[in-house]
Amino acid sequence: MLTKEIITEAMYNAIRLGATKMPPDIREALERAMNEETDPMAKKHLEVSLQNADSAEKGCGLVCADTGFPMYFVHVGAKCTVEGGFNVVSECAKAATARATAECFLRPTMVHPLSRKNPGDNIGPGMPKVEIIFDREDDSMEIIAVPKGGGSEIFGTFYRMFFPADGKAGIKKFVIECIKDACYAGKVCPPAVIGVGIGGTADVCMSIAKKAALLRPIGVHHSDPEAAELEKELYAASRELGIGPMGSRGINAVLAVNVDLAVTHTAALPVAVNAQCLVGRRWKALIDGSGNIKYSGEFR
Amino acid sequence: MRDIKLPMSAEDARSLELGEMITVSGLLFTGRSRFHIRAIEENLFPPIDYEKVNCFFHVGPVMKQEENGEWQVVSCEPTSSIRFERYGADVVRKFNLRTLIGKTTMGPGTAQALKEVGGVYLSKIGLSGNALRGQVKKVHEVHFLDELGKTEATWIYEVENFGPFFVAMDTNGRNYFEELAREADAKMPGIEKKLGIPEGYDYTEVNG
Repeated sequence: MLTKEIITEAMYNAIRLGATKMPPDIREALERAMNEETDPMAKKHLEVSLQNADSAEKGCGLVCADTGFPMYFVHVGAKCTVEGGFNVVSECAKAATARATAECFLRPTMVHPLSRKNPGDNIGPGMPKVEIIFDREDDSMEIIAVPKGGGSEIFGTFYRMFFPADGKAGIKKFVIECIKDACYAGKVCPPAVIGVGIGGTADVCMSIAKKAALLRPIGVHHSDPEAAELEKELYAASRELGIGPMGSRGINAVLAVNVDLAVTHTAALPVAVNAQCLVGRRWKALIDGSGNIKYSGEFR
Repeated sequence: MRDIKLPMSAEDARSLELGEMITVSGLLFTGRSRFHIRAIEENLFPPIDYEKVNCFFHVGPVMKQEENGEWQVVSCEPTSSIRFERYGADVVRKFNLRTLIGKTTMGPGTAQALKEVGGVYLSKIGLSGNALRGQVKKVHEVHFLDELGKTEATWIYEVENFGPFFVAMDTNGRNYFEELAREADAKMPGIEKKLGIPEGYDYTEVNG
């Protein structure tokens, strides 16, 4: 049985590591993009960003100062049990987030939406976001902590309800226009990972877009061939915009386009776009049934 | 790469070319949404000598107070200036600012105001909060800390070879990103054609 203390410890370390280390798949993709760019400023944007991540890893600062929205995706096994029940997981996320904020691994960024008051600990109604997903058989719990930067969420979120008659042309036009708008002037901090949700209800559509952007390893395509084809076509199209890292003249506005699908109403075609910024921060903690924790930034 | 002294002289500002990468040295003040809104809507702003501290750095830094009471910068990553465009021009004119530093860009209103005062807008190169932190030589003072918190408070930093940044708006009112966006717009028809989107295609509209 997992205790509150163990889950809090795992969440704290995962969000701390997420804020101070760059996941290996993201680093590889950024290095590839840097070597490909020819414009001196486009290259410099990536060189500086990689150096920034290096210094964070050495204990000097953060991968990015905007640690943004604190989020935890918790994958739970059918045989996993928690002392006090699963309600405890939200409390653990709050305690972990408050501690990481107090220790300056997270910037106190969450404020009341109307009064704009800042409690200083990144905690309040709805935040941190915790999503519990019961999708495994064993007694383990995997926590993926994501400090999601403000830029990618603020400037990289789009939704439109299309209709079946709009077809794939509508989806493609919408996504490529979203990419152009999101990457203008480096708003979402490109090269971005573009999550595209197609189908479901509005909230399901946005949720699958977000998870496609945040959680999928770079280089993995959707198992549905039609979705995978869309990913490849839209990625190739993004490279022709002439927009590169941080919105400069270049090629790499996008590291990957990740599509995810949900069945939807026969009259509907909802499409959502949610972007993740170039540093793609996420780190995971795997807790086995005995409460041993292993941390990893490897998602491939 | 040129290092430009702050407060930036009119001559230095005029000499900067669109897209040029530079560093700056001298005094600057920080702020973001709350600074802009309060300064213009409520005429409430920190009592600073804005002629001397004339560079507005758009940032919400991560700050840490040491046991001896001194403040240290943990990280200072420029934040998206485009969000402040509603107030950008008024703030530039009110404080006669010749240097803005931030992320992304600002709109035509701020470009016009910068042209009038002979100022430039500098945008960040990559994510550089940790390097920038090391280039802050001293944290001089802080205003509105209790009211606004560490992120939105106004800090005064003394910086040395701070950057690099690039000139995203020059004193002639030109904007690097707007020019690039026009190039991207011109490529869109060709990109849509390749994606198999029929010419003249539009989304189904259901509102009168």
